[in-house]
Amino acid sequence: MFWKVIASNRRRTVLLVLVMGMVLAVLGFLLGEAVGVWTQYASLSAMPGGDGAAAGHRAGFTGLCVAGVFWIVLLLVSLLGSDQLFLSLAGAREVTHGMYPQLHNVVEEMQIASSLPVMPRIYIVDDPAPNAFAVGKSTRNSAVCVTAGLLAMCDRDELQGVIAHEIGHITNRDVLYLTVAATMLGAVTIIADTLLRSLRYAPAARYRSSGPRAGKGTVNLWILLAAAVFVVVSPVLSRILYFSISRRREFLADATSARLTRFPDGLASALEKMMLSPERLTTAPKAAAPFYIANPYKQDLHGGMFATHPPLRTRIGILRAMHTGAAFKDYMKAFWEVTRTRKPLIPTSDMQLGRTVEKRGPRPDENHAADAPGSSARKAGDIMRAMNDYLFITCACGMKMKVPPEFARGKVRCPRCSREHKVGDPDQEVLAAILTATAPLSGGGQPSAEARAAARVPGDAQVEPRKPGTWQTLTCRGCGRGVQVSPVFHLSRVTCSGCGNVITLEEEADGSPVPPGRENPH
Amino acid sequence: MTGTIVFWVIVAILVIAILYAVGIYNALVGLRNQVKNAWSQIDVQLKRRHDLIPNLVETARGYMKHERETFENVTRARSDATGARGVPQIAQAESRLTEAISRFMAVVENYPELKANQNFLALQEELSSTENRIAFARQAYNDAVLFLNNKIEMFPSSIIANMFTFRKEAFFEMEDVSQRAVPKVSFS
Repeated sequence: MFWKVIASNRRRTVLLVLVMGMVLAVLGFLLGEAVGVWTQYASLSAMPGGDGAAAGHRAGFTGLCVAGVFWIVLLLVSLLGSDQLFLSLAGAREVTHGMYPQLHNVVEEMQIASSLPVMPRIYIVDDPAPNAFAVGKSTRNSAVCVTAGLLAMCDRDELQGVIAHEIGHITNRDVLYLTVAATMLGAVTIIADTLLRSLRYAPAARYRSSGPRAGKGTVNLWILLAAAVFVVVSPVLSRILYFSISRRREFLADATSARLTRFPDGLASALEKMMLSPERLTTAPKAAAPFYIANPYKQDLHGGMFATHPPLRTRIGILRAMHTGAAFKDYMKAFWEVTRTRKPLIPTSDMQLGRTVEKRGPRPDENHAADAPGSSARKAGDIMRAMNDYLFITCACGMKMKVPPEFARGKVRCPRCSREHKVGDPDQEVLAAILTATAPLSGGGQPSAEARAAARVPGDAQVEPRKPGTWQTLTCRGCGRGVQVSPVFHLSRVTCSGCGNVITLEEEADGSPVPPGRENPH
Repeated sequence: MTGTIVFWVIVAILVIAILYAVGIYNALVGLRNQVKNAWSQIDVQLKRRHDLIPNLVETARGYMKHERETFENVTRARSDATGARGVPQIAQAESRLTEAISRFMAVVENYPELKANQNFLALQEELSSTENRIAFARQAYNDAVLFLNNKIEMFPSSIIANMFTFRKEAFFEMEDVSQRAVPKVSFS
C-alpha cells in the first residue's frame, strides 16, 4: 500500500473540489453577466432608456449563486452517486457468483490479497474490446467492471492481473479522485458549452443597439471576450490538471498488481492482448476515459502531453523486465531500466525496503482445460446473453438455442432438427439459461439427461418406439388419426397434422441414431 | 519570570511527547488488529477448504473405485488439519493437506469421465480458488505481521511497544508444494 499516494490522493481530491468551486464561480459570474448583457440589449431595443446595466450586475450575482448551488449539487452527486452514474453511462451490469463463478472468485482472491475490508461489486460491459475499470468512493464502497471482450480473451492469470490492477486503484484511492474529477470535469464541459451557446446569441442582440450606448457596449464586449477565453481555456486547464496525475497512477496500480498476484507476466500478457486487439471500446463515455486500464481512445501510442495513460508498450516492458521479484522495489528497478531514468516512482517510505517478494510461476496447465481457447469466448457470450434476458433452450438433439427477449412468438423451431419448443415459463428458462451459461462446457455438446427431460413437452406426451428403416403407422392419441412415418424421416418427433399433437419417437435400444438424410431403404 | 517560561516549555514538551506516544500506541493497536483480521481471513478460507473436501471426495468416489488409499490420505489430512491448534501446527497440517489434495488431483487425471463431470468441475474451480485465497490471505497476513514486527522493533515505537507489551507475531510459513519435486503417483 502506498501511504503517501493515498494521502496525496485525498489532498488532491479536496484541492480539486475547491479549484472547481472557484472555476465554477467565475464561470457562473461570466455566464450571468453574459445573460445580463443579452437581456440588457433586448430591453434596450424594446424600450430605450431602461436601466439595463443594473440588471446586468444583478444577473452576474445571480449567476454566482446559481454556480454555488450547482457546485454543491455536483459535490453531492460526485460523493453519493457518481460511481453508479459512470457504471450506467458505460452500460455496465452487475453479475453475481452464480452467473460467472470464476470472475467472482478472482475478485474475491484479490480482495483478500489486498485486505480490502469489503468485496467490490462486479460489473460486466457488453463490449468486444478488452478493457476494465474501477469506480468507487472508498475502500468500503467500490466496484470493478470488465468488458465481455476481456473475459473472452483472458485466461485466469491474466484476469487476475487486471483485477489486481483495478483493486490497486481502489486501495490507492485513485478511484475517489477520478470519480470526483470526472464528475466535475463533465459539469464544467457542460457549462462551457452553455456559455458558448449563449455567446452565439448575444452578438445578434448587439447589432440591434448601435448608437447612444456604444461605450457601454465595448465594456460588455470585454466581458464577452473574457467569457469566450474562459470557455476555451477552462476545459483545457481542467484536462491538463486531470491528465497530469493520471500517468503515474497507472504505473503504481501495475506495481500493486504485480505485488498482489506475485505474477507480473499475467498483467503484462493481458495488456499485450489489449494493445493488439483491433476492437475499439464504443461504450466508454469520454469523461471516463482515464478510468480504464488501457486508454479506450487509443491515443496513447505516442503518449503526448494530453495522454491519459502511459504508453502500453512501456508498461508491458516494465512488467516483463521484473526479473528479480514482484516487490515494489523490483518494479521500480524495472521502471528505471525501461524508461532509462532515475525518477523516484514510488516513495521510499512506501517501499518496505528489505522485503523480498518472490515471483510465482504461471498456473499449471491442467487447470486451463476448463477454459480452453474458444470456450471462454463462448462462455463470455453466453453470460452476456443470460444478462440480457435471452432464453436458453437446449433441444433434445443437442442444439443450444439462445432466444433474444424481443422474440415474441410462443414457439421456436430448432434449426437442426426442426423440433418445436415452447418459449414460455420464463422462470424455468432463465434458470436453465444460468445453468447452461455457468456450467463449463464438457464433451462434444451432448445434452445431459436433465436437459433432455426439460426439452420434452410436459404432460402426458405420446412416446412411440421407432423402428429404423421402415414405414411406421402410429395412432395419434389426441384425435385417433393415423400418422405415417417414412423410413427416411430422421427426427425424433412428429406432429399430428390433425390436432397438432406431438408424438415423440424413441430410438430402439440397439438402433443407433441414423445420420440425417443419409440412409437409403435397403 | 524565566521559571514560568521554563515550566511552560516543559509542559509543552510533555504534552507533545504524550500525544506522540498516543499516536504510536494507536498505530500499534491498528496494526495488531490488522494482523488479527488477516488471521481470521486465513481461518475462514481454511474452514472453507475443509468444507469443500468432503463434497469433492463424495463426487469422485463414484468414479474412482480403486483409489481407497488416496481418499484415506485426503480424509486423514483433513481431519488432522481441522484438529490442529496454534500457528506452526496449523501451518504444518495445512501444508500436508495441500500436498494430499494435489496428489488426489494428480490421480484424478487418470479418470476422464470424472474430469468431464460438471459438478466436479465446479467443485474444482471452488477448491482451486480457495487454495488461491489461502495463499493470498497468507500473503496479506505476513505483510501485516511484518508491519507490526517492524514497528515493535524500530526505535521510538519500540519503547511504547515494550511498555504495553505488544508481542511480535509469527509468520505463517507453509511449505510451497509446487516448488517441490513432482509428487509420486502410483499407477497401480
